[in-house]
Amino acid sequence: MSLLEVRNLRKSFGGVSAVADLSFELNSGEMLALIGPNGAGKSTCFDLLSGQLRADAGRVLLEGRDIATLPPQSIWQLGVARTFQVPAIFSSMTVRENVQMALISRHRAVWRFSRPASALFRGEADTLLAEVEMARQAERAVGVLAYGDLKRVELAIALAGSPRLLLMDEPTAGMAADARGALIGLARRLVRERGLAVLFTEHDMEVVFGAADRVLVLDRGALIAAGDPAAVRENQRVRDIYLGVE
Amino acid sequence: MLSVEQVNVFYGRAHALHEVSFSLARGETLVLLGRNGAGKSTTLKALIGLLRATSGRIVFEGHDITRSESYRIARLGLGYVPEERRIFPDLTVAENLLVGRRAQRDGIAPWTPERLFALFPNLAEMRDRPGARMSGGEQQMLAIARTLMGNPRAVLLDEPSEGLAPVILDQLVAAIRALREQGVAVLLAEQNFRFAARIAERAALIETGRIAWSGTLQELAADGGLRGRYLGV
Amino acid sequence: MDFLAVQFLTGLASASSLFLVAAGLTVIFGVTRVVNFAHGSLFMLGAYIGWSILTRLPREPGWFALGVLGAAGATALLGVMLEAIVLRRVYRAPELFQLLATFGVVLMVQDATLAVWGPNDLSLARPAWLRASVAIAGQRFPAYDLFLIGIGPLVLLALWLLLHRTRWGVLVRAATQDREMTAALGVDQRLLFSAVFALGAGLAGFGGALSLPDQSANLQMDLSAVVEAFVIVVIGGLGSLPGAYLASLLIGLLQAFGIVFVPRATLVLVFVAMAAVLLIRPNGLLGRPLAPGQITQEIRPVIRAAPTTLKWLGLACLVLAIVAPFFAGPFLLSVLTECTIAILFAASLHVMMGPGGMPSFGHAAWFGLGAYAAALAVERGGASTMVALLAAVLVPGIFAIVFGWFVVRLAGVYLAMLTLAFAQVVWAIAFQWDALTGGDNGILGLWPGGWLRSAPAFYWLTLAICVGGALVLRRAMMAPFGYALRATRDSTRRAQAIGLDPRSLRAAAFALAGAAAGLAGGVFAFAKGSVFPGYAGIGRSVDALVMVLLGGVDTMAGPIVGALAYTGLYDVLLLATSQWRFILGLAIILLVMAFPEGIAGATRRFWLRGREA
Repeated sequence: MSLLEVRNLRKSFGGVSAVADLSFELNSGEMLALIGPNGAGKSTCFDLLSGQLRADAGRVLLEGRDIATLPPQSIWQLGVARTFQVPAIFSSMTVRENVQMALISRHRAVWRFSRPASALFRGEADTLLAEVEMARQAERAVGVLAYGDLKRVELAIALAGSPRLLLMDEPTAGMAADARGALIGLARRLVRERGLAVLFTEHDMEVVFGAADRVLVLDRGALIAAGDPAAVRENQRVRDIYLGVE
Repeated sequence: MLSVEQVNVFYGRAHALHEVSFSLARGETLVLLGRNGAGKSTTLKALIGLLRATSGRIVFEGHDITRSESYRIARLGLGYVPEERRIFPDLTVAENLLVGRRAQRDGIAPWTPERLFALFPNLAEMRDRPGARMSGGEQQMLAIARTLMGNPRAVLLDEPSEGLAPVILDQLVAAIRALREQGVAVLLAEQNFRFAARIAERAALIETGRIAWSGTLQELAADGGLRGRYLGV
Repeated sequence: MDFLAVQFLTGLASASSLFLVAAGLTVIFGVTRVVNFAHGSLFMLGAYIGWSILTRLPREPGWFALGVLGAAGATALLGVMLEAIVLRRVYRAPELFQLLATFGVVLMVQDATLAVWGPNDLSLARPAWLRASVAIAGQRFPAYDLFLIGIGPLVLLALWLLLHRTRWGVLVRAATQDREMTAALGVDQRLLFSAVFALGAGLAGFGGALSLPDQSANLQMDLSAVVEAFVIVVIGGLGSLPGAYLASLLIGLLQAFGIVFVPRATLVLVFVAMAAVLLIRPNGLLGRPLAPGQITQEIRPVIRAAPTTLKWLGLACLVLAIVAPFFAGPFLLSVLTECTIAILFAASLHVMMGPGGMPSFGHAAWFGLGAYAAALAVERGGASTMVALLAAVLVPGIFAIVFGWFVVRLAGVYLAMLTLAFAQVVWAIAFQWDALTGGDNGILGLWPGGWLRSAPAFYWLTLAICVGGALVLRRAMMAPFGYALRATRDSTRRAQAIGLDPRSLRAAAFALAGAAAGLAGGVFAFAKGSVFPGYAGIGRSVDALVMVLLGGVDTMAGPIVGALAYTGLYDVLLLATSQWRFILGLAIILLVMAFPEGIAGATRRFWLRGREA
C-alpha cells in the first residue's frame, strides 16, 4: 500500500475549478515534485491534503485511512507536516521558541503548567535547528530573519512533528542558488535516512529535475503529465504549457 | 519615456528586486519574461507606487516618481493593469470604466466607453453587469479598458494571458496592437513566450529579481537554449 | 390593535432617527475602515449646535429646516477637521488604536461641550406646529414623528442616488472595495476620505439636530448614540447602507414593542437581537466578509523574560506597596487599592487582547458579574467575604467559558461588538432587574467582614489577591498554554498545521480572562462597599481598554504599567482640574500618535536602542 493515495480529488471556488479529478500516489522514501504554471492548483492541492481546505469530492488516503474530511490539527497528528508558500511562522517568538512550540504540541504538553514553555524540549529544538543550519540564530526573533532563513525555520517546525509525509510549498523561493541546493539536499537526505515521503512544488526547474524521483504536472487544476523527470521534460504538452500555446 | 535605474525592492524581508534597470521608449512594447516568482509583478508594482523601491530611481516623462504616491503616478499617464485584474466586484462594467476616467492628454485621442466597446465588443453587451459576475477573460478586457479610460501614455500589463482561452488571447493581441498604433507604450510582464512574441519588440528575461538578459524578440526567438533556461521546463 | 398600530409607527419614527446616525458611521467605516467612536460626539454636537441656531431663529417650519441643515453643515465641517487633525495620522495604525484615538476625541468633545453649553440639558421650546398631532386609528400621533418616518427612507434614497448616480459616489464605492486599485487609477484618496467624513459627520449632525423636538440636548447622548449606531451597523453588516436601514427598523420596532410587552427587558432585547443576528450571520444581515486587504502577516515584537533591572524595580514597588499602610493616609490607601485592582483587571483583558489576539469592548461584563456575584452571595446567601470572592471567580468564569465557546470563531470588530453586546446585557439586567440587583440604586453596605474589617488588613488582602492573580495570569502566559495562544494569534494556519486547536485555546483564554476580571470586580465591590450597574458599563470597559493599550499590548509589563499610569493620571487629574476629560483625551490622542506601542513598548524600544530584540 502507498503511504499517500489521492483519488479523484476535486475543489472549485465559485464555479471555477481549482483542482479537477486529481489522482496520484506517493510512497515512503520517495520525493515527488508538483509543478505547473501560476494558477495551476498546486497550493490548493496542498491545502486539500493538509486539511486547510476541504475537498468537494474525492478521497485522500493516508495508509488506507481517509483523511479528506479531517481538520488540519488531526491530519498533523497522523504524521503529515507542511510548509507554506509564504512562510507561516510565529512572529512574536524566537527561532528556538517556534520549534519548541511545535515540539510542545507533538509531546502533548500544551496544557502543562508546571514549567515555562521556553524551558521545554530545548535540546530537541536545538538538534532540529542544527539540521537546518539555524542553530546559531536560535535566540533571534524570527521577525528579523532573512527570507531564506524563515523557510529553514519553517522546515524545522515541520520536522518537529516527526512526520511520515512532508508537504513543502515552494521551499526555496527567495533563496540564493547555493542555499537552494543545500535545502533540497537536506530534504533528500531526510527522505533517504528516515524513509520520509516528500511532496513539493518548485519553480526552479534545476531543483525539480535534480531532486525529484517523479514529477507531476498540473495545468488549470488537471493532471496533464506524470512520470520520471526525463520523460516529463520531453513531454510536448508540458513544453507547450511552459512556453505558451500558440 | 520611462527609465528604471538600479532599483532594489524588498518584499517584507525578502530582497525581491536586485539592481533592476531598463527603459521604455514612446510607443514601444517591452516584455518582461520570467517564471513565477521571478520578480515581474514586483517590478510593475514598484513602478506604479504600490511597492516602494529602497534604492534606485524611476523616471517617467521627466518626473522622478520613485517616491511618488500611486495616484500621482497614474495621473502622470502611467496606467496599470494588475495580474489579478482587480475589477471592482460590486460595480458594473460602466461604473468600473467611470472610476478609471481621467482628463484627456495632448496627443492622445481620448478614450471613451464607446471607443472601448468597439475595441472589446464583449463588454458592450454587458454594460450593467457587476464585475463579480464576469468571466476571467471578460474581466481582463475590462481591466485593460478601465485603465485606458485614464488616457495613459504608457500601460503596465501584468500577465494578461494568464488563464485565458486561445480565442480571447487573439482579441487581446489585437487590442494591444491597437494601443501601440495610438502611440501608447506597453510594458508587459509574461511567462507565456508565444503570446509575448506576437506583440512585443523587445524582451528582458528576469530571474530571482535580476534582469538576466535583454535584447530583441527576434534574438530570443532564435535562441532556444536561452528560452529553455529561463522559461521552459 | 389600534394601540399596536401606533406603536408600530413610533417604532418606524425611531428607526429613522437611528438610521441617520448609523448611516454616517457605516459610510465612514466602509471607505476608511476606521471604527469611529467619536461619531456619537458628532451627533451630540449636531444637537447642541442645532439648539444654538434654532433658538435664535423664528419658530417657523421653514426656518426650522434651514436651522437643522445649518447644524448639519457645521457638524460636517467639524468632522472634516477631526479627520484632518486626528484620523489622517492614524489610518495606518491597528484598528484598536484608531478606536482609542477616537475615544480620546470623545473625552475632549465632552469637556468642550460642557464648557461652551454648560451642564444643563437644553431643550427646544416647541411651537404649536411642532406639537401638532394627527388622529391615527383613533389615537393621537405626533405629526413630527410622521415627518421623521418619512425622513429615513428619503435619506436612504438620497444616499443611494449619491453613491450610484454620481461619479463621486462610484469612486467612494470603488474605494470601499479596493483602495489600492482605486489609487492606481489616479484617484486621490485623501480628498475622498475627507469628503466621506464630511458626509458621515453631516448625517450625524443632521440626526442630532432633528432629535431636538423629541429630546433635549444632553452630555450623555454621545455614548448612547454611538453604541446604538454600532449595534445597528454591526447587525446590518459593516459598510452596508440598506443593511443599516433594515437593522434600524429591527431595533426601532423591537424597542417600540418591547416597551409594551417586556418593559423590564427593553435594554437587553436590543443586544440579544444583535447577538442572535451575529451568531446566525457572522457578517450581519447584508454584510459580506471584509475584503482581504490585511492578510499580510504583522510582525510583532518578541516577548522575552523581563530584564533583571525590571524585576528588581517590580519587587521594590511591591515592597513599597506592602509597607504603605504604615505611612499612607486613608486617601492614598484607597488610591493604591484602586490601582491594585486595576492591575488585575487590565492584566485579564491583556490575556485576551495580547496573546489571545481577541479585542474586547465589553470586558466590564466579567468585572460586573464578579462584583454582583460577590454582592449577592453576601446579601442573599449570607456568605463570608472569602466565599463571596470565590463566587466572584466562578460565576463569571462559567459564563465566560460558555459565551467564549460560541464567539471565538468571530474575528476583529465583530468579536469586539459581541463582547460589547454581552456587557450591555449584563449592565441592562443589573439596571432593570430591581428585585434582584436593586436596579440603579445598586446593593449597598458590602463591607468585608471579620478580620478584614480593618483597612490595612483588607488592603493587604487586595494586594495579595490582585498581584497574585496577575502573577498567575503571567505564569499561564509563559506556560505552553500562553505560547500556544500566541501561536494561534501570530499564524492560525501554522498553529493548526502543528496540531493546535485554536477554538479551545481561545475559549480557555476567554474563561481565564473572565474569571480574573470577575475576581477584580469582586474585590472592588468590597473595597467600595457597594455595587452599581455602572460596574458593567461601557465606561469601565473603555477604562480597561485604555489601560492595556496605553501600557502596550505586546509586552507582559504593559497592562501593569498602563493600569498604574491610567488610574494614577485619572485620580490626579480628577483632583487637580475640572477639565480632566479634556486633558485625558488629549493625552490619549498624543500617546497614540507618539507611542503606538504603548508606554512599556516605547520604553523597551528605548532600552534596546537599535539593538536587536
